[in-house]
Amino acid sequence: MTPRETLENWQRAGRKVVHEADSKDLLQQIGIPVPKRDPAEGRCVAKLCHDDYPHKSDHGLVRLGLSPQEAKQAAAEMAERFVGGTALIEEMEEGSVAEWIIGCKRDETFGPIVLAGPGGILVELIDAAEIRLAPAGPQTAEAMVDSGPGARLLAGLRGAEPADKGALADLISRISVFFAENADLISEIEINPVMVRADGKGLAAADALIVLAPKANEQENLT
Amino acid sequence: MAEPNTNRMAVRRPSVAEALDALFDPSTIAVVGASRTKGKLGQAVLALLKSNGYRGKIIPVNPSGGEIEGLAAARSLEEIDGPIDVVVLATPVGVALDALETCTRLDVKVVVGVTSGFSEAGEDGHNNEMRLRRIMQDAPFRLVGPNCEGVVRPASDLQLTFSPMFNGLRPGPVAMISQSGALGGLMALRLGERGVGINAIVSSGNETDLTAADLLEYLGNDQQTRVVLCYVEELRDGRRFAEAAQRLTRAGKHVVAVKGGRSRAGSRAVQSHTGAMAGDDRVISAVFRETGVIRARESVAAVDAVTALAAGRRPAGNRVGIISVTGGLGVEMTDLAESAGFEVPVLAEATQTALSRYVPFYGSVSNPVDLTGVVLANPTYVGRCLEAVAADPGVDIAIAIITFVPDQQFIEALAEAFDSTGKPILIVWTGSARSNASGEALRERAVPVYDSPARAASGLSALAATTGEVA
Repeated sequence: MTPRETLENWQRAGRKVVHEADSKDLLQQIGIPVPKRDPAEGRCVAKLCHDDYPHKSDHGLVRLGLSPQEAKQAAAEMAERFVGGTALIEEMEEGSVAEWIIGCKRDETFGPIVLAGPGGILVELIDAAEIRLAPAGPQTAEAMVDSGPGARLLAGLRGAEPADKGALADLISRISVFFAENADLISEIEINPVMVRADGKGLAAADALIVLAPKANEQENLT
Repeated sequence: MAEPNTNRMAVRRPSVAEALDALFDPSTIAVVGASRTKGKLGQAVLALLKSNGYRGKIIPVNPSGGEIEGLAAARSLEEIDGPIDVVVLATPVGVALDALETCTRLDVKVVVGVTSGFSEAGEDGHNNEMRLRRIMQDAPFRLVGPNCEGVVRPASDLQLTFSPMFNGLRPGPVAMISQSGALGGLMALRLGERGVGINAIVSSGNETDLTAADLLEYLGNDQQTRVVLCYVEELRDGRRFAEAAQRLTRAGKHVVAVKGGRSRAGSRAVQSHTGAMAGDDRVISAVFRETGVIRARESVAAVDAVTALAAGRRPAGNRVGIISVTGGLGVEMTDLAESAGFEVPVLAEATQTALSRYVPFYGSVSNPVDLTGVVLANPTYVGRCLEAVAADPGVDIAIAIITFVPDQQFIEALAEAFDSTGKPILIVWTGSARSNASGEALRERAVPVYDSPARAASGLSALAATTGEVA
């Protein structure tokens, strides 16, 4: 199934907010790295993904720093409490040097846009995102990681290792192209955070969300 | 009502360019609602069209016929023989819609709808709006407005408006598109006062047919246009507007835009951070920056930016040389320039030597240069000093600050200094209203003149940044 067909199926099924596990499957198809699933060893994170609870932490649906065995147990417990959810066990991303947010949405005036900036908890603290029209070509994406206060963070503040800006720019461009091509079906995509590792070591989308556009007949009803 | 005359019907809807070509250089204009009664829109439109020297054919349209403003009036549009380039609708809304419907059967290129009472009137205007859209659906002409203040083209002596705010403009490099007629008037008046020439002004009103993006594309591509000034509240085809702006700015022209209207809160629940972070206002700033549009926070700042850009001189760098007849204003200008990202470097030794011939020991020849009031004793001194600073190889932009001016020669010396260089020059003249001199020599050359350092700083920012925001 192509990513577009997947989106159409979801829309047909009446989904509005597509949970993390499914969103990541789709992103992986378009070449966006995600953390390793169901690892046999190492530290794990267990999550319960559910369309109705996009803000997982608020509902205690994220458990960090578990062994694979503990993770399975935690996932089973959460699944019992939230019926209809999908359990997700992933390798914990620990080698990253920066957490970034990448988002796409359809602006009422200008159409598809893409946003990138310091993510994770920094989203709550500073408003330093760079915004461009989508699709953003490779040059524009590079300019986005080299602009604004976020650029200093990626370059490595006070001796910190510089982040893999190339991989980040590639992700921005890739997702903005995908979004612009499917903006009739998607109203927003967000990856927050993407864990950016040191230069040359790539990145992984630690959390992701796709908000589907209302079906054509529902759009008419809105206006 | 007359039978539809198929022979006179235009074959198809004119393109934007065909319609606007006709609009800006029309041979025949019909004014529907032309009246002898002072205070009526149609009377004002006709009077301004005549008094501003339009040389083409003007046909007043009024059911009582006869003569209006010395011109033979037609009783209806259908009475007019031959093609009509422009029909102006300046009547109450019901009559205007009837006339618009009539235009669909005639050979008309473009209609300018000054009339109000459509979507902007909410519930009351709803039926009118529906009828308007029905007529426009396959109309063989294009429409400016409705609910607009009209169109001005100084080079064609064309003044299709009821507002005297656009009187006396000279032809030049600035095109203006305004969704608000009143703000367009304010900006036109101020540009005119500074001698900045106007290529065309279109008050686009409700933009039922022709939009700001259409106008930007057309006016921007006009060879005469160097700067496009836009006041917009709602961009219906924002993407096209942004793309057109990008093409212009990449071609070396400037677009200065004011976006009016507070950002609306999102109407639906925000599911993601993206929705909250990419609010309307932030997106506008980002897209304007990306496409090279200079965003002005309000209309007067926009005029200040345009004034500087219209002179057509581009700075090679960000080094500013400031001369002032008073220390305080020089200091304020320096603070503003530096906080806008400019350098105010020490002047070259040769420049300092040249200046010290005019500046007393208690002044300063570094930068900002404090000429002191002594220079007022000789009317040409300030002009000479400005020439010297502008000639300094370490200066990219020169600013002269003056307060009151004792005589005309003083101003002429400044104008000569402007002519002596190709570098951008800005003048801060705080006391123009209290001076014994007119600024005509400066206006003739469209020298950017500001009444305070802060206003000059808006011009300065526009000059060097060519993108970004001006306060």
